[in-house]
Amino acid sequence: MKFVRNVFSQLHTFVLWALFSALFWSWIFTMTTDVPAAEKVTLYCYVPEISDTELAVRLEETKPDGIKKIKVHSFEYVMFDVEFIESGDLFIIPESMIEEYRELLLDPDSGVKIYDAASGSGSACGYIGYGGEDCYLFLGAHSVHIEDGCAKAVADALLSLG
Amino acid sequence: MPESILEIFTDADTERLRKKIKLWIIALCIAAAAALAVCSVLAATVTTANAESSEFRTIIISTLSGWVIIYCAVFVVGSARRELAHSETLSEGERERVEGKVTVTRERLRIKKSVCARGVEVETPSGAVHFWVVESKAAKLKDARAVYAVHGYVAAYEVAK
Repeated sequence: MKFVRNVFSQLHTFVLWALFSALFWSWIFTMTTDVPAAEKVTLYCYVPEISDTELAVRLEETKPDGIKKIKVHSFEYVMFDVEFIESGDLFIIPESMIEEYRELLLDPDSGVKIYDAASGSGSACGYIGYGGEDCYLFLGAHSVHIEDGCAKAVADALLSLG
Repeated sequence: MPESILEIFTDADTERLRKKIKLWIIALCIAAAAALAVCSVLAATVTTANAESSEFRTIIISTLSGWVIIYCAVFVVGSARRELAHSETLSEGERERVEGKVTVTRERLRIKKSVCARGVEVETPSGAVHFWVVESKAAKLKDARAVYAVHGYVAAYEVAK
């Protein structure tokens, strides 16, 4: 009883500590797991389901020279910070959304079909749940890995996944 | 009947409080350093595959160890510090002697950032006089025949030899 009374008398301190702890370590982990744009290839996927960690680990197995990390995010990851997504190197976008995100894509008219809804076949189906629409893979318009070929190399690796 | 004066906080009590505070501070510092070391190792050995689980584990370890350390710092070290400060105040103040039947009442006083106290009533021929005594020492007044009070708190008491 005394323990419960004591805890409630300092509840604000315990809540503040939990918040501080979560924010501080999230920041530390972001700092330790992130690298500059020149050393990573980032893939954004506009899909209903994605095993982002597993896909990133799989793609890192064949990462090009000079690349330290492969980042995979769903569009929801950046829904409140659109500027973030503009630096994406690769995009997987369903056919109906291509017009909306046209500005992000290097060549919006020549995406590679990564998923065919009619046959239900595509690449990386073990990691990505595409939904009921054809999806296309694009290079990012603002990618820093077009000239060095790293974005293309990761795209090829992605397309080769079963 | 000869009587002896006994202190509420003896020298041994204050020494024991000082030692307790010192040892608890050392123990809490070691616990905090250990928790920080474990969290730092988890953060330093992170990979893409274990990033989420490591981050989750680190936050849980940091939060729980922090809660335990905060609890001990506030309610063990803090309480001992407040008792020590109170004992020093009692030893320095001017004492007022009141003789009569001494009773510890059920009244309880919890002063913020100070000690918890119990009410004490001394029945004198001219009426009852009210004091406070530190809760952890209230049992000492069981056989008291007179009390010495400082700022309304019992600092010492007399018992029959």
